[in-house]
Amino acid sequence: MSAPTLLEALPPRRRLADAACTAAGWAMGLAGILLPVAIVAYLLAKGLEHVSWNFLFDAPRGNPVGSGGGIGPAILGSLALTGLGLLFAWPLGVASALFLAEYAPRKRWPAWFRFGFECLAAVPSILYGLFGYAFLAVFLNFKISLLSGGLTLGFVMLPVILIGAQEAFEAAGGAYHEAGLGLGISKWYLVRRVLLPGAMPGILAATVLAAGHAVGSAAPVLFTASVVYSRGGMDLSRPVMTLPTHLYYLVSEAVSFPHAYGTALVLVAGLLCTNGAAMALRLWMARKKA
Amino acid sequence: MAEPAATDPRAFRWPKIGWAWSDPAVRWSGWVTLLFSCSVLVFILFFVAREAWPVLSSVRLAGFLYGDPWQPLAEPPLLGIRHAWLSTLLVAGVALLVAVPFGLGIAVFSSEIAPPALRAVLQPCLELLAGIPSVVYGFFGSVTLVKAFEWWWGMPAGECILAAGLILSIMVLPFVASTSYEALRAVPRELREAALSLGITRAHMIRRIALPRALPGIFAGVALGFARAMGETLAVLLLAGNAVALPGGLLDRGQPLTALLATELGEAGLGSEKYHALFAAGLVLMLVTLLINMGIWSLKTRWMRHVRSHAA
Repeated sequence: MSAPTLLEALPPRRRLADAACTAAGWAMGLAGILLPVAIVAYLLAKGLEHVSWNFLFDAPRGNPVGSGGGIGPAILGSLALTGLGLLFAWPLGVASALFLAEYAPRKRWPAWFRFGFECLAAVPSILYGLFGYAFLAVFLNFKISLLSGGLTLGFVMLPVILIGAQEAFEAAGGAYHEAGLGLGISKWYLVRRVLLPGAMPGILAATVLAAGHAVGSAAPVLFTASVVYSRGGMDLSRPVMTLPTHLYYLVSEAVSFPHAYGTALVLVAGLLCTNGAAMALRLWMARKKA
Repeated sequence: MAEPAATDPRAFRWPKIGWAWSDPAVRWSGWVTLLFSCSVLVFILFFVAREAWPVLSSVRLAGFLYGDPWQPLAEPPLLGIRHAWLSTLLVAGVALLVAVPFGLGIAVFSSEIAPPALRAVLQPCLELLAGIPSVVYGFFGSVTLVKAFEWWWGMPAGECILAAGLILSIMVLPFVASTSYEALRAVPRELREAALSLGITRAHMIRRIALPRALPGIFAGVALGFARAMGETLAVLLLAGNAVALPGGLLDRGQPLTALLATELGEAGLGSEKYHALFAAGLVLMLVTLLINMGIWSLKTRWMRHVRSHAA
């Protein structure tokens, strides 16, 4: 083979390979954009006609139950469960994260704790359900109730909030942080006046993401909190309906597909709104930092 | 917005003894909450293991893991989870077989090929995909894919390993894609530019420079996808068919571990042999997930050190 001259054209094989790579990349990228859009559009097209005020607020009716009426108690139940979980997980997660980011001796400890929390975040949600059932519902005798389910969801959300908050605390502060320390003000004052305000948008974004994930997951509440039918009264010691388990019941027992479309749409639309809010928060944060 | 603390007149006060209590108080309450949060992991492991102990301590562990079928109503009850972990492996395998090439393609497109505007659209789209709940995916699969299978192949019921695996592949796609994307972004810019300046094509650069350099990160993404696929419950519960027979092929019905737990726990009497067997199955699932996570962690720390040493 002769030595290549300086401006030899690329062999056609190489140019073809490059074009093929570019084309395949574009195809997959566009498919990656179209896939979620198509799923949401499908749910919207099939479900929108079944969603009405009555569907949103009425209790399920009909025989079998769920084939008529609405999903009001399920929406309420999901909100109550997640709210209760947040009440438990948020202070715990933020305080732990603050300690890890600010107070812990800066050696190997934070890394090990971080590893533990990443493990916790990776545990499949059905195992939280198993744990909640064995520990909260049976061992502590909370029964299948709003309390058991809320605490279980709190356990699910805890590592997500904690990791997000830790990252937010570490990103906050910067020069103000060092200036404050240099002036000799107490650490708690620094936390209150510099770190917490700076980290709050990041913490809120992580919280919203965790809550959105918790609202949609049925596995942790399947055995700790949910029933097929309730009239919507909220009581800590009584079970509730939830949106994801209601959808599961409607589909697995083939009760009513129109209602299943409606329920799925309500669930996805709610999550889209919350995730959109989290994304906006993050964008706002990035812009403020820039 | 809060004023910077340095300009706040109160910040200049010398710390007094009376003020000094708050810092230790916060420090100690921080310790307590941190220990509590961290003990949750230990606690979950301990409690699941405690409930699983009767099965683990009996001599029938081999039967539980491999030999026996799942026949809780037989006399004596036979409680083996071979069909379940086999289904889990099959479903997760199908999911990865689809999601890894697709996710890698998206990652390469997003980091090497896409114009910035399109990249800015692609990321939220993947997040949207990750935000849709498992049960909605299960429902979506059962009204589209399952119906299509019934129509194409004339199956009496379209729920099968393949349907569950395909829907799972959509669910793990964002995890595989975003982890691989981050790994590709971490490849130093100079390497790319040096390669391209030598006159090789972009495809060649991706194949010989970017992908090999990003390989540990991509591998972490694949492992993460596998762990996610193993842990998903509701989608496989609705789509895999929930049959306790040993799956022989992709069009057979199966019952992954998570689906086994979700189906049977509600009907298992407290303290019965079945109850303990279910917790043992959960323990298996948890230990495998934790092992994978440790692998990802060590990969990630090594890969980050790699990146950092290059930057230094």
